[in-house]
Amino acid sequence: MKKHKLPIILMFVSPALLCYLLVFFYPTIRTTFMSFFNIKNIMDGVHKWEFVGLDNYIAIWKSDLFVQSMINFIKIWFFGGIIVFVIAMLMSVILTSGIKGKSFFRAVIYLPNVVSAVAMGTMWIQYVYNPKYGLFKTLFEFLGLENLAAIKWTTPDNIFWAMLIAFNFGMVGYFMLIYISGIERIPATFYEAATLEGANIFVKFYRITLPLLKGVIKTTLVLWTISDVGFFVWSQVFSMLNPVPGTVTPMVYMYQSIFGNNMIVTDRNVGLGATVGVLLMVIVVIVFALTNLLIKEEDVEF
Amino acid sequence: MKRKNVTVLLVVVMCCLNVFVGCQKQKSEEVKTVSKNDVSDKKILEYWTMWNETEIQGQVIKEAVDDFMKINPDIQVNITWCGREIRKTLQPALDKKEAVDIWDEDVERVVKNWGDYTLSLDDYVKKPYPTTEGKAYEECINYNLMNLIKVFSDDSTLKAIPYQAYITSFMYNKDHFIDAGITETPKTWEEFLVVCEKLKAKGHTPLTTDDAYADALIGYHLSRIKGYEWVEELVADESKAMWDDEAVLRMAEDYEHLASQGYFSKNIDSNIWPAGQQEVASGDVTMYVNGSWLPNEVLGTTGPDFNWGQFSYPAVKDGVETIGNLNFGSQCYAINKECEYPEEAFRLIAHITTGEWDEKLAASSMGMPSSNDANWPIQLQEAKGVLENATEWNPYGCGISSNIDLAPTIISNFQKLMSGELTAERFIEEMKK
Repeated sequence: MKKHKLPIILMFVSPALLCYLLVFFYPTIRTTFMSFFNIKNIMDGVHKWEFVGLDNYIAIWKSDLFVQSMINFIKIWFFGGIIVFVIAMLMSVILTSGIKGKSFFRAVIYLPNVVSAVAMGTMWIQYVYNPKYGLFKTLFEFLGLENLAAIKWTTPDNIFWAMLIAFNFGMVGYFMLIYISGIERIPATFYEAATLEGANIFVKFYRITLPLLKGVIKTTLVLWTISDVGFFVWSQVFSMLNPVPGTVTPMVYMYQSIFGNNMIVTDRNVGLGATVGVLLMVIVVIVFALTNLLIKEEDVEF
Repeated sequence: MKRKNVTVLLVVVMCCLNVFVGCQKQKSEEVKTVSKNDVSDKKILEYWTMWNETEIQGQVIKEAVDDFMKINPDIQVNITWCGREIRKTLQPALDKKEAVDIWDEDVERVVKNWGDYTLSLDDYVKKPYPTTEGKAYEECINYNLMNLIKVFSDDSTLKAIPYQAYITSFMYNKDHFIDAGITETPKTWEEFLVVCEKLKAKGHTPLTTDDAYADALIGYHLSRIKGYEWVEELVADESKAMWDDEAVLRMAEDYEHLASQGYFSKNIDSNIWPAGQQEVASGDVTMYVNGSWLPNEVLGTTGPDFNWGQFSYPAVKDGVETIGNLNFGSQCYAINKECEYPEEAFRLIAHITTGEWDEKLAASSMGMPSSNDANWPIQLQEAKGVLENATEWNPYGCGISSNIDLAPTIISNFQKLMSGELTAERFIEEMKK
């Protein structure tokens, strides 16, 4: 009987398996392979590749720009993560607490995700942060907060935080929706019972919502890491022609290694870009493993 | 009954569609046959361009190519509008020996990256063409630009033909100069300081830049003191000991002085491109070091009547460079050495880069014409003199950006120096970290 099932299993699994092998597995293996070579052009045939062993892995850590990009990567992950997760969780709890106009607020908070990141970034740079007529300047002046109104958001010292605020503004809605769907899966009877026992809103959050959302939080942590790994468009919008220390990310460094600098003709090394790709992949795998290890889901069925 | 009606209606619609599609197919086959017969006798040139069809340069080039085909009915030119993606797509196409007869891109890329694939054009430029009025082609084109291509080439042969040239220099608002009573552009740093003071006294902010072009200022200044080769050594020095050189301190002090005198825009450290160039375009600031493409780039803000002027970065006292040391370059055309019809390909290039179409391209894009006797756009009249007086070529940023790992740090610290946040000494300390 089991033997008879095998062809059927293979038949059903093969389309997905083939897709996975072609779209994910093969590029992963090839990129890893490329990271051991010096390759001038991304379309160069294998016969043009020059084997360099681990040189690329050593070279990236000697590059000040790459080290800076990793610092930015960690700062985005940590500080951005705290800001996004706290606000998204707060919003989702408020919106699932039975307030009026839930659909409206949910749509408004999610709206930035619908707009292209390039348009959003341009809006932040050219309008919100503009030191002459920007939203922040006029708003703070209106409120009489002259010190805040005088802040130049896009100076070398401030541009990282300016970019992070703009990026987080868009991401809150995305994670809020995920949390809302997680909270709505928790049976209302749990909360009713807690209310009858005299629990206030904070107790209900810490004793019911948070423990039962562990699985969702685990998923969002991995999703957040993946979006941080792919952090590219916002960097490009906040420094269009050349990377600057405040905006450079590993993905920008990888792009520059593969396709060269925008302003001048420089040597390219696709292998170096591949090395960055491998490193980022390893980071995602580690975060995934760590979250599985550290965040244990409650053994509760609901 | 209703279902029956719907079925009948569907059948009728399908029949109509069938007839329509059938006719279309027959028609297109007819067209195909005709055009195939037409093209079979023609010499075909495949031209890959860095422009998009919607860009002004693309539009003029398309008109020029159409005109060329009208004059030469035996030649068919097929244009592939690659846009800047040509930087990624051309190399594999050449490797796979795809039919690409002519291409255009920035001079350095064309000669340095793809020089091995190009035909040497030394013999072709010695001949006259219909648009050169009996003169040899090389006599009609700017000498500096033609020479630059030979300098870039490994074997000193002419690998490409320049067009859409540019210089990197001070771009300024002439009306502000007139208002401040400045009659001559500055040639030395001392004269430059006088110009800044006069502008400030008349209420004009003399200087601005953007994060993307700040390297041109620091690069030019260091290069004027020590030469661009030294600047390239400076940024390549892993020990960073060269940042202790007097030249760096002198540059930093000169810029600290500009900052202390209030010659820079208040937003100099927060200008993300194109905010700084918009300050010039809107008349808030007078001078900005940029490519001569700037008038075209900010045309939407300035309108066509903005009074543009250009001058070369001033020389500094006891420096090794003069104002004749200039960063200039161009887009350029190359012909594939595998091209079946090189004579015809060069004739097309000559058609676009000399005579009527050269002037049209320059006028439409507010760019520089290729031929010596062409009329220059009014916005670039002074740039003509700057290019003609160029004695030596400097790379973009005079070498300051040649270490792409270090360039972001240099620009970031330089922005702080210009804003007054860093003193000259602190700038050097930051660079040595």
